[in-house]
Amino acid sequence: MLTTNELERYDRQIMIKGFGEEGQEKLKRARVIIAGGGGLSSPSSIYLAAAGVGMIRIVDNDKVELSNLNRQVLHWDKDIGRRKVDSAAEKLKKLNEGVEIEAIDEMITEANVSQLVAGFDLVVDAMDNLPTRYLLNKAALEKDIPFFHGAVYGFEGRAMTIIPGKTACLECVYHGTTTPEEKFPVIGVTPAIIGCIQAAEVIKYIVGIGELLTNRLLICDGLNLKFTELKVKKDPNCKHCGHLGGKE
Amino acid sequence: MGIIKINIPAYMQSFTNNMEVVEVNGSTVGECLNHLVKQFPGMKKQLFSKNGNLFENIIISVNGESAYPEQLAKPVKEGDELNIVLIVGGG
Ligand SMILES: [Zn+2]
Repeated sequence: MLTTNELERYDRQIMIKGFGEEGQEKLKRARVIIAGGGGLSSPSSIYLAAAGVGMIRIVDNDKVELSNLNRQVLHWDKDIGRRKVDSAAEKLKKLNEGVEIEAIDEMITEANVSQLVAGFDLVVDAMDNLPTRYLLNKAALEKDIPFFHGAVYGFEGRAMTIIPGKTACLECVYHGTTTPEEKFPVIGVTPAIIGCIQAAEVIKYIVGIGELLTNRLLICDGLNLKFTELKVKKDPNCKHCGHLGGKE
Repeated sequence: MGIIKINIPAYMQSFTNNMEVVEVNGSTVGECLNHLVKQFPGMKKQLFSKNGNLFENIIISVNGESAYPEQLAKPVKEGDELNIVLIVGGG
């Protein structure tokens, strides 16, 4: 049941066709884990908290640095040197007191990934490297949790939604390819666009409306402002998901 | 062997005289990319490693569909459209 306060707070989105109080209640009951507390995490966590997702766990073990602030809008000048998860949790709680925020100051590894995502309804990929994305992809598939991929480079962005056993996963598309782990160029607007697309997908999935970004990798070319798609299929020989379910 | 269009991503257009679309000939993805490199030699280092393999972090799509696993060997026909998709991992 929604409170009078919640009915007023979420009035404009409850008005959306197919959303309704029922959709808002689904959001309130949802538990979302956001892997990463930086550029993609900032917009996705802000908009998920604002939309009234009941519980958000943020995992990151970095501290805020001056060079993060051009894009990681959850962190401010005053936060430099603080743990990112604490800085994020403070802002998100102030934004929406009704949302439970859990800050986990840990690095995501093969050893802990399964335990970190366990019990959550959705996993948001807000990482800054591909190897950890593959760990999350695999863990989400094993636990049958939808996985919301996003990545950026400069003005370039990518996004895709993965429904375990039904749609192509990250490994189906990228086949384990990694990119050099180095300082990459990026401006805040790119993770803002992609993080918001991820948040929109999460909300649509929870509420059960619209068409998801599945079996297609969205390619955002911010410089020319062109959106294209790479059509992909669930690979029956995929190392991560080949053994799961049928196809859609 | 007809005309095939290759869409050049924004960050590579400095190697194609700022052209967004380059027309090439070829019957496979590989032949098309070779023809692109012939017209714009600067594209070679953008697409291929020293030993001539397509960079691992590039996906070529044909009419919006990934050319994997055939990649360079994938046949193409007149009117097809290729895209160069960079795999990115930042966040
Ligand atoms: Zn897969």
